[in-house]
Amino acid sequence: MASRTYRTEAFVLRSLRLGEADRVLHLYTLARGRIGAVAKGIRRTRSRFGARLEPLSHVELLLHQGSGELQTVTGAELIHSHHAAREHPYRLGVGLVGLEAMLRLFPEQEGNPRAFSALGRFLDLTDELEDRSGARPALDPLALAFQLKLLWLSGYLPHVRSCAECGAGPPLVGYLPRAGGAVCRACAADAIPLAPRTLVGIDALLRRPLVEAVALALGEREVRETLRVIVSSYEYHGGFRLRTLSA
Amino acid sequence: MLSPAVDNLVTQLTRLPGVGTRTAQRLAFHLLQRSTEEALALATAIEDVKERVRFCRDCGNLTEEERCAICRDERRDHSLICVVEQPADLISLERTHEYRGLYHVLGGALSPLDGVEPEHLRIDELFKRVERNGVQEVVLATNPNMTGEATAAYLADRLRGRARVTRLASGLPVGGDLEYADEVTLGRALTGRRDMEP
Repeated sequence: MASRTYRTEAFVLRSLRLGEADRVLHLYTLARGRIGAVAKGIRRTRSRFGARLEPLSHVELLLHQGSGELQTVTGAELIHSHHAAREHPYRLGVGLVGLEAMLRLFPEQEGNPRAFSALGRFLDLTDELEDRSGARPALDPLALAFQLKLLWLSGYLPHVRSCAECGAGPPLVGYLPRAGGAVCRACAADAIPLAPRTLVGIDALLRRPLVEAVALALGEREVRETLRVIVSSYEYHGGFRLRTLSA
Repeated sequence: MLSPAVDNLVTQLTRLPGVGTRTAQRLAFHLLQRSTEEALALATAIEDVKERVRFCRDCGNLTEEERCAICRDERRDHSLICVVEQPADLISLERTHEYRGLYHVLGGALSPLDGVEPEHLRIDELFKRVERNGVQEVVLATNPNMTGEATAAYLADRLRGRARVTRLASGLPVGGDLEYADEVTLGRALTGRRDMEP
């Protein structure tokens, strides 16, 4: 009989209290995508897991697949704690936007190495974000770039180089979620109005590596409009809103 | 399968945290096997608690009076407030016999993923207490996990300039072995190391 215990790398996306001293973890694993697992006794001060399984942590786990829906964590090694992100309010805010986007866009038990590696890169860069106390984490270029890339990986690549309705070239004046991209003036009824610079910015955030997102120096209007594009894509294609984006 | 009354009891018991259907059935059968007096004592205790116990007007701790015994105690240091997430945390701190100040129970911790924002906790009440009562020091004793740390950071930021703000130390549990400590805790213990007095 095949072993029901396996080893995989994972990111801890969310952690919920269970019973007296346990936690249910929402994990994004390299081997099987999104899974739920129970970490028994983790809330006790002498737990062998200690602080290894806090949200944002990158870990190598030994998991046991029982007969229930939830798996059981039987061992955990820390690869990267990302405590620099967790212990700073602004960075944590940015990190949580990324975690919630992963939770909503990748709910299936199906490995996606590109999404896994994008999440790792995102968290590495979140650790290094400069302090912008008072600013809204939802408007951070890194958070915006990561969410656009996740939309791309989940099959909702926003089309911003020509009209998504009629194929006409620039100028494009708005974004239409049901068309999946930017639209020209003739097709712009019901579209979200966008400045031309916003479309250039979204295109750059999509195509350039995550590490370059901050250096793009997007203006206030561009980041706000980019956030509207992301939010409307979530609402139209996924039927959900992210709580962390309204914070 | 069972009588409607037993079914109802099982349903009510499954509403308790950590109690599944099987555990609820076991508890229900246990209650059925006990004497009527014993079973009704539990019902009366629940009724009493719901009728008598409320949250302290000042600190949010559980009490049968308007203010809890700790807030009423004049021998305690009223210029010192220790902020905890739940009444159970307060009990743990009281067991140390090391702390002689007052408490403030938030009723949870900030968690944007779960939709818990500052207005859902007793945070405004804390700021008002600090302003009104001339509090000198606020000890942040929220849990040392992500939500607890986020809450502590939020409070520290808002309390800056109003009172001295301190945080419970993080480190190794007394009586444990270093080799079993996780990297994050051990790292914190190293960062927060202190001078040894001769």
